[in-house]
Amino acid sequence: MTDANTPAITCQNLWQVFGQGADKALTDALSRSGNDADKAATDLREQGFIPAVQDANFEVKEGELFVIMGLSGSGKSTLIRCISQLLPGTGGEIRVDGENVIGASKKALTELRRKKLGMVFQHFGLFPHMTVADNVAYPLRVSGVGKKERMARAQEVITLVGLEGREDSYPRQLSGGQRQRVGIARSLAVNPDIWFLDEPFSALDPLIRRQLQDEFLRIQATLKKSIVFITHDIQEALKLADRIAIMRDGKIVQIGTPTDIVLRPVDDYVREFSKDVAKGQHAKVASVMRDESERGPDDPGLTTSMTLDAALAHCMELYEPVPVRDENGNIVGTVHPSDLAAALQVDET
Amino acid sequence: MTAVSDIPSNSAIQLTVGAKAALITVVVGAICLALEGLAPWLVKWPTAWELPATEWVGAFLDWFLNGIKPAMRLFSDLMAYPMNGANFVLGNTPWPILIGLVTALGWFLGGLPMAALGFFGLCFVLASGYWAESMNTLALVAVSVPVALVVGGAIGILANEVPRVKSFVQAVLDVMQTVPTFAYLTPLLLLFGFGPVVGLIASAIYAAPPMARNVMLGLERVEPEIKEAAIMSGGTRFQQLFQVEIPAAATQIMVGVNQCLMAALSMVIIAAVIGGFNDIGWEVLLTMRKAQFGESLMAGLVIVVFAVVIDRMSGTLATERKRYDPRVVWAVLGFTALFTVAFWAWLPNPSELTLLDPMAEAVDSGLTAFTQANGPWLDALKNNSLFYVLLPLRIGLDQAVLPFTWGFQWTAEMSFGLFAVGAVIAALMAWRGHLTGGLIVLILIGMLETGIANLPWPFVLTGAAALSYVAGGWRLAALSVGLLCTILVSGLWERALLSLYLSGAAVFSCAVAGGLIGLASAVWAPVWKVVRPICDMLQTIPLFVFLIPVLMVFQIGEFSAFLAICAYAIVPMIRYTRHGLVNTPDEMMEAAISSGATEWQIMRDVRAPYAAPTILLGLNQTILYAFAMLVIAALIGTTGLGQSIYLALGQADVGLGISAGAAMAILALVADRIVQGFAEERRKALGL
Repeated sequence: MTDANTPAITCQNLWQVFGQGADKALTDALSRSGNDADKAATDLREQGFIPAVQDANFEVKEGELFVIMGLSGSGKSTLIRCISQLLPGTGGEIRVDGENVIGASKKALTELRRKKLGMVFQHFGLFPHMTVADNVAYPLRVSGVGKKERMARAQEVITLVGLEGREDSYPRQLSGGQRQRVGIARSLAVNPDIWFLDEPFSALDPLIRRQLQDEFLRIQATLKKSIVFITHDIQEALKLADRIAIMRDGKIVQIGTPTDIVLRPVDDYVREFSKDVAKGQHAKVASVMRDESERGPDDPGLTTSMTLDAALAHCMELYEPVPVRDENGNIVGTVHPSDLAAALQVDET
Repeated sequence: MTAVSDIPSNSAIQLTVGAKAALITVVVGAICLALEGLAPWLVKWPTAWELPATEWVGAFLDWFLNGIKPAMRLFSDLMAYPMNGANFVLGNTPWPILIGLVTALGWFLGGLPMAALGFFGLCFVLASGYWAESMNTLALVAVSVPVALVVGGAIGILANEVPRVKSFVQAVLDVMQTVPTFAYLTPLLLLFGFGPVVGLIASAIYAAPPMARNVMLGLERVEPEIKEAAIMSGGTRFQQLFQVEIPAAATQIMVGVNQCLMAALSMVIIAAVIGGFNDIGWEVLLTMRKAQFGESLMAGLVIVVFAVVIDRMSGTLATERKRYDPRVVWAVLGFTALFTVAFWAWLPNPSELTLLDPMAEAVDSGLTAFTQANGPWLDALKNNSLFYVLLPLRIGLDQAVLPFTWGFQWTAEMSFGLFAVGAVIAALMAWRGHLTGGLIVLILIGMLETGIANLPWPFVLTGAAALSYVAGGWRLAALSVGLLCTILVSGLWERALLSLYLSGAAVFSCAVAGGLIGLASAVWAPVWKVVRPICDMLQTIPLFVFLIPVLMVFQIGEFSAFLAICAYAIVPMIRYTRHGLVNTPDEMMEAAISSGATEWQIMRDVRAPYAAPTILLGLNQTILYAFAMLVIAALIGTTGLGQSIYLALGQADVGLGISAGAAMAILALVADRIVQGFAEERRKALGL
């Protein structure tokens, strides 16, 4: 169907503007400002519109875990609802598997959701009048899968999320963590290619949250879905993401790997986020590696995928440059121990 | 400028909106009173200026109703089939079977308590000898409720699906809530002629709105994420609605079913006024007219029993309920069937049962003895309330104070003196910084002197405009004045003022008494334990039944009507006051306690202000309740719009019935909006 190079999701110049007659207002504002997004957004605000998502551009690759991070009101929830077409999108393009979904027919969208999309919600969104099994099987029920078949499939995903034995319980009889397991199972019932998670762990206790994050990573390691994951928690973002987009006031201010975000924030806003983060736990040795061949005599055994913390622990008493190896043991570069220390320095403000 | 001269000029400029509004009202009132001699048209709207609006409305409606009459007659003929069917089934089912069915249903819905309630309730009905009449009433309810449920549900769903329809439906429902029940009946009478079908359709019309409202509310309140989850599961709109949203809203919809049942029962009984059907409401009316209060109380109790059984049983639908052993259901039904077959030949005809007749007679004779023994005391209570409170409120001190009642004649000097005292109080209060309060005192004294029924129309309009402006700005003021002007020019003004007076007096009494009871219930839990079941009971009883006890003790007249209105309208005031006071957030209470506030200070400074919006909503409900009861109370002697509506019903005068109903609705609507405006303002001020 689609070749391997097609990104799972592409957003181009995506806008979501709220207010009566937003479509026309956006077109006008863009033409007035000569397609300058910032000016157009200011213009729209002055007219009383709310530009909740402004000119978003990004791609999510096949099998990539793409995290969108921002504080409340930054537009991240609006953005995921645009992509999943729970909101129509005011301007721009969203391609899912190469097909533009903005302006797609109701029927096409329903079909897309039945086959390719799954979504997990912050407050679970479980149907209170259905048992766990019925909740999980619901996406199959609406697309007309027979009872026996859909219950068998529901059982599979319920087992996958570790809820066997609770099939006949009602949501109200479950704990928060268990409810979200049901939400996850339901979103996986149709075996979707693309998986949306809207702050799935935010409503949970810290301990349960960490437990579910780990299980989520375990599930993702076997399923390899293309994921858009929303969170307001930088730690969560750094722990889970392949790449992170940081949003502020409706704009994406930076897209990058966790290392990029921690070590090379584009502005003070992003720096502010990463300030409290133990950088050494997230940034990798590769980020401070130089392409030099002059090294000292010591080889503490650094690899590219080591975190800075781990690397520093290996070089505590070293001052001269040391070699870095890749997974196969080949030397691929050099690290100055002073660079490690410098990268971990906490910004004074 | 010096600082000294600054202060007065500042305070003169800083008149609050309320003070300005009150000032204007005072000035207009004073001008009207001063010029009364010169220009009587300033006080009483001249008849020559009235438009024959009532006739126009009548002519138009006659034309319109006659146009749709054939279709409606066909509809009514069609409705006759299910009704006759229900009548036949309920009328011919042996009574043990029905009692067994209700008991089994009670068990299924709520276990032993509900089963017992159903069993003893129906046994009481059986023993009362009103079984046949009750079955007729039940047949009407049984047909009108499904119609109301389907229509109301469909309207609710439609409004939910089409946003444009929603605001329209909401507006119509708001208006329907304020239009008095009797006003529905007159046009229906013209369409369908006398007979049970009118009652059926009136009750379906009356019972559909609560269903529609609750369906809308329920669907609206389904968590957005649940709706989104249904969309993301790939459901079609139809699947989303019927498989997810409606089941998720089930609790709220069941509240709608409960309210729908109660409304239908209430209206079926009210519809008995037009007669033509041998039902229990008719029985009450008949015995009431014949002053057989024992019988009428008995029939009234039968209605109350039905109301309680239906309300409590359907109420369980709206709560999360346990599953009760279905074997009990089968056992009860089986036993019933066996019992019926075994004793078939000996089953008494329920209409000939007179088990409770001695009780009715005892009540009758007891009542006679009671009124005879306490006659002087009761008469004194009634007359004192009439002469010293109700009458002055109605026609003013200047006319109510007569040698015959008060022992002296009111003179112009007294009026002057009263106003002078009022002015002094107002000036004193203004000096202490309560200008608005002072002006309001002056206005109230003026109203007491003139009497509500004799208030000059410019004063009423200005007062309404001023209140509306303070409560909700220019738009509300314009709406109030516009609506009230339609009453003014249509020639219903005097009757409207009479209605305003009686409901105003009742609302005021309810606000004071209900507020105090609510306060007591909030402070002392034991009080609430007693008050709560009484409130529950008062809210379950159909309006009609309120008339019986007051009539028994105080006979026909305005005082009885006043009491009946109070009994019905006081409940929301009590409930909301208590609710508002009890629900002060714990943190606020703790903050007050740790600041060292006493119990009384907490009440005054923390709980009461926090409860204010809720209490205002209670007042709002009390006003609407009072207007609803005002029309029913017309049956036992009130003047004003209620009486007009009732008369119109008797004469099948659609024009008068609809116009008076509309005028009543306007009064209720204006009062409703003003109080809601104040409540909204308080809520905003508290940041809620």
